Order: sequence, then C-alpha cells, then structure tokens
Amino acid sequence: MSSFQNGSAPIRALEDDSDVEEGLLAAEYKEQVQFQDDGMDDFEPSNSMSMAQQPDDIQARLAQAAQPLDFSAPLEIKFQSYDAYCSLFHYILNSEGPVDLEPPSYYWAWDVIDEFIYQFNSFSSYRARIARQGTSQEEILMLRENPNTWGCYSVLNVLYSLIQKSQITEQLGAMKRGEEPMAVAGEYGNKNLYKMLGYFSIIGLLRVHCLLGDFSLALKTLDDIELNKKAMFARVMAAHFTTYYYVGFSYMMMRRYGDAIRMFSHILVYVSRTKNFQKSAQYDSITKKNEQMYALIAICQAFQPTRLDDTIHTALREKYGDQLLKLQRGGPESLPIYEELFKTACPKFISPVPPNFDSPEDNVDPIDHHLAVFMDEVKTNMWNPTVKSYLRLYTTMDLKKLAGFLEVQPEELRSWLLVNKQRTKQLRWTDNGLLDGELVNASDLDYAMQGDLIHISEAKVGRKLVDWYLRNLSRTYA
Amino acid sequence: MSGEDPQERPEAIRNIINGLERYNPEAASTLEGYLQLQCEEKFCDCNANRALLKLYQLNPDRIKDEAITNILVKAMTQFPSPQFDLCMHLLSPSHSNPAPTSTSELAEAVSKLRALNSQLEGAQYDRFWATMDSDDLYADLTTDIAGFEEMIRVRIAQLISQAYREVDVAVLENWLGLDDEEEVKKFAVETCGWKVGADNLVQIPKNAENEAAKAEIREDVNIDMFARVIKRSWEETA
Repeated sequence: MSSFQNGSAPIRALEDDSDVEEGLLAAEYKEQVQFQDDGMDDFEPSNSMSMAQQPDDIQARLAQAAQPLDFSAPLEIKFQSYDAYCSLFHYILNSEGPVDLEPPSYYWAWDVIDEFIYQFNSFSSYRARIARQGTSQEEILMLRENPNTWGCYSVLNVLYSLIQKSQITEQLGAMKRGEEPMAVAGEYGNKNLYKMLGYFSIIGLLRVHCLLGDFSLALKTLDDIELNKKAMFARVMAAHFTTYYYVGFSYMMMRRYGDAIRMFSHILVYVSRTKNFQKSAQYDSITKKNEQMYALIAICQAFQPTRLDDTIHTALREKYGDQLLKLQRGGPESLPIYEELFKTACPKFISPVPPNFDSPEDNVDPIDHHLAVFMDEVKTNMWNPTVKSYLRLYTTMDLKKLAGFLEVQPEELRSWLLVNKQRTKQLRWTDNGLLDGELVNASDLDYAMQGDLIHISEAKVGRKLVDWYLRNLSRTYA
Repeated sequence: MSGEDPQERPEAIRNIINGLERYNPEAASTLEGYLQLQCEEKFCDCNANRALLKLYQLNPDRIKDEAITNILVKAMTQFPSPQFDLCMHLLSPSHSNPAPTSTSELAEAVSKLRALNSQLEGAQYDRFWATMDSDDLYADLTTDIAGFEEMIRVRIAQLISQAYREVDVAVLENWLGLDDEEEVKKFAVETCGWKVGADNLVQIPKNAENEAAKAEIREDVNIDMFARVIKRSWEETA
C-alpha cells in the first residue's frame, strides 16, 4: 500500500496501451489515489447506488476508469477497482434511459475498455500465480472468499451488454450497406458515449476470447468491423494496434500464417510510417507490442515463407535474424526457438475459472498449455524446410535415394512429403468475415509421387517491379 | 475449414452458437444431444462442439468426460486441420498438461487422443493403426463415433490421391490399416474408384493436386498501386 501512495508515476505507464500523455497521467493518478483513500471505508461489493448519488463527480469517475492501475497494487485495490467498474457500468447500463454524458475525449471509451480488460487479465494471472506458489495464505484466503471478483462471466457480461445497448452491430451493418447508422442506433446508440463503448467492446471481446484460447470465436467477433484505415478504431492508435495484434495472433493459431503475416505487416508498416508523427509517450507504449509482432512474423515466416514488405523484412532481419535462420532450417534444433519466440510474443493467456488453491501443483500456467498445443503443430512441420530445400534441387528424384541422403527410413520420408504437401494448401482471406477465405496454394514448390518417383515442379516467380519502381521514383523526387 | 459449419446444423443450434445463449449453462445439454447426433449420423460440427467446450471451460462443474473425448475424436476425423488443436486450446490445462501426480482419467484419455491425432497430422498412418491396436482404451474412446475407422480410412485415401499418381499396394496396406492385399485392392477399386495395375501398383486418376504442373507467378499490377504517385504529380503541377 505504501508504495502505491507515494505518488510517483505508475510503473505500468510504459507498457500500457492507453493513449494518455504522461503529465496528465501523473496528475490524475494523484486524484485516483485520493479517491481510493476516500472510498476505502465504505467499501461495498458491486454497489451501484453511490454512483447515482454523486452526479457531480461523474466526470471524475469517467476519467478515473480510463486510468491505469498500478501494476503492484495490493489485492484490496484490485478488488476496489473491480467494484468501481461494476458500479460505473451499472450506472451507464441500468439507469432509467440513457445517461446524458459526453465522454471526456474521443479515445476515452477505448481507454476504459482497454484498462478494464487489462485489469481482468492481470488479476487472473496474479490469482493463478498466488495459487501456484501457495505461500501467501492471507491472499489465498481473500481470493477464495471472493471467487466472483473479476469473474469471467461478469467481464463478458459487461462487454456484451455494452454491445447490445448501443446496437453497434446494427449500426455497423447499416454502415457497411452504405446506410445511415443513426437510423438503427436506438435511443442509446445515438449517444456518443454508448456508441463508442459498444464499438470498443467488440474489440475488447476479440481480446478476451483470444486470452481464453478461443481463437475462432475471437475472429468471429469482428464480423461486423471492416479492417481498413477508415474503421473507427483506426482513429485511436492503441486500438488500431491492439486489434491487428490479436487478429494476427488468432490467425496464426488457426494455421493461417499468410493472413497472420498480412495483419502484422499492415500495422507494422503503418507504425513505421507514422513514427515521426506520434507523440513520444504513445510511441513508447507500443514498442513492446511492436517487438512481439516481429517475433510472431518470424514464426509465421518459418511456417510459410512469404515475400515481405521491404521495411518489415529489414527490421525482421535486424531484430530476429539469427532466430529466423534457425527456424527456417527446421529440425529439432528449431524447437527451442519456437518456444522462446512464442513465449515472448503471445498474449498473457488466462484461465476463466479460479485456480485450485488446495493443490498448487495442479495449476498449470495457461501459457504453457497453449504453447504445448502449438508445439504439436510445430513438431509435425519441423521437417518441411529440409524436404523443401532438397526437392528444389531436382525435377525428378527417387524416394529411396533421397531417404539415403537424409539418412532416414523411406517410410519416414513418405510421411514428411505428405505433411509438407498437405500444408501448402492454406485458407486465405479474400472478402467478407475474417474467418472466410479460399484455399490457395501457399508454396511455389509442388510435387507428386508416382510410386517411389517424385516429380517436382517449381513455380517461377517473376520479378516484382512495382514496389521497386515506386520507391525509386519517390527517392528521385525527394 | 472442414467440419466447421455443416449443412446438417439445425436452426436451434444455430441460434445457440450465434447468440448469447451460448453462455447459458443450460444450453450444454442441447449441445450434448447434438454431439450425440453427430456421432450417430457421421457428420461433424466442430463450431458447435467448441461452443460446448466453452461452456465446460466456464462451468467446470458441468463437464462430461465422454462428451469431451467424443468432441476430440470428431475433430480428429477432420485431419489435417486445426480443428483438434482448437478444441485442445479450450480444455483446462489440468486436462491437457496434467501434473505428474495427476490420476485423472480424462487427462489420460486426452493425452492418448492427442498422440493419435499427432500421428494423423504427421501423416504417419501406419503408426496410427498400430497405436489403435495397441490398447483397448482406443476402441473404448472411439466406440461412440459411428464409422470412425472407415471415416479415417476414406480421409487417408483422399489425401493420398492428392499426392500420388501411383502407389504401391504394400504401402497402401500399411496406410489404410487393412489386413491383406486383397482387401486393399477391393477398397481401392470399390470405395476410391482407383485402378489396380499389373505390377501391384494402384493407379490414381489425375486431379488438380497430383499433377504438380508448372506455373509462373506474375505480379498483379493495378492502377491503385500508383495512386499516390499520380496524386502527387497532379498536385505538384497544379
């Protein structure tokens, strides 16, 4: 508690996704501490009344909801923060009719949803860690007694309720058809506050589903949002960035590596182009996610070599050049690199239910769980680079002879050839929802077997000139 | 993705998985009934089955072990596909990555199915059939799924046809898990419509996949790519 009160800037500010400038952050942080001190005595779980009784400081509370909570805040504060969110959302959702408030800023709604989910995420991780360690009896007791605090159902409930109240799905549908969204927005959705909260709740859901390991549902959630620069989320850099990270990650987990790379590349190029215009605090906050996405591109690139944008390619080689080389070589030596990159770049997965406090050793870290499942697919594919590199050298090849080169049994090589061939067919997005797509041949190498004879054909790739031409043109002009 | 949204899905199930009803613990029994139907009628709705796994994830007290294993076996029949992994991601870590001291029967079943699935995903079909024969537990785990072995066999044959023009009967015998060459030939001719040649080579008709035709990839150029340059030159001259 003492470290929390001494008023220095929150530790989390740097790695936080929010959009607030540091000075403002520090000032409001003091206000937040002040508030929490006041609220300490009459602490009541999920009490919505206090909200309605204090209309004067509602603006202060709206602002507070968007403030990052100190990473090392003690459990009491985390519980309190949960109750503050409950009462705020209860007020917004369950007052008689829509509440008449303007959000403090255009990015406020994003900050609130972002912080709400961040706290849910870090609380769940913290709770699981306490259970695994099994040492802090006091905290265990407190967590046991409040199993529903930061419960998964309540978080989902808030997000879905905001989506429903704002009729944002209907609004987005109308926008897609080129109609006036206000016509279908209803009395809540007409208000900026509800509209923005509803909209960012969709992105919030994408994130929560991903954190729980439900990658297809995560992508399904974005059915109504069109991913382009005109999308509403693109106005808030952090939202823009977060959306692409989670969509890209979900694609990767669904083995759609081409689509994942497309997502990561899009946003990384965007960041690199706008870097000079970003406020520095904002830019710092996305640096970490930036690095993570490069790590994920390295993984996807190993699964499915793709021609990358030049900017991305250069940065990738700078940041993860050695690792990428090892991944692209394949074989058992590549496995630890996959694990390392996955662990640094994955979201902080959580379990939706309280851990088992009675037997600490039963509580497996969800990150290890998802990593293990992911590694099954990695292991299945780890010989693909070997197979490809040999096949590229021939137009026809005898299977037994190749098996001799590779020092494996012919049976083993038959399996490798089948796996590599099967994985070249990939679903790729073309239109409509993110989950849609058509099967395409993702490799320039194709082959077919006639008994033990392998017929190989390699697609010739013509030079890509447009990008080169445009870059040189702009250089000449400048 | 195969097995994702089958035509057989009834209206009631569609409403559950596309709406908020998917979070209602009471919906579990409907989805369990639907899973049962999939097992009997030999179709697969992984999307709906994941909704059931999600309910189990949120309400562990509702978990029915045999529903989980049946979902996994159903997802397995879709190989190669991410379906099985997507199910695995929704299981509790204690089921998929149990502590060494764990005595959970479900955890044991899950780890067996996972190994089996790896063999199918890794195209080690001969090992898959050997594993199936190695322990009675595998028969128990797949007993609810009508026509399981046949579905796997047909799927393997389909995958072979996408990679092979000719395949040796002996290789086919191992991969299809059949007892002797006569059965293999019968299966190849009657089920797959392939021809058996004189030298014990099975001929597979040409298709888009087993041709390995040459191709040239060329860059698609369209006017949008030059939009910036054109805009800029327009603005600068104006």
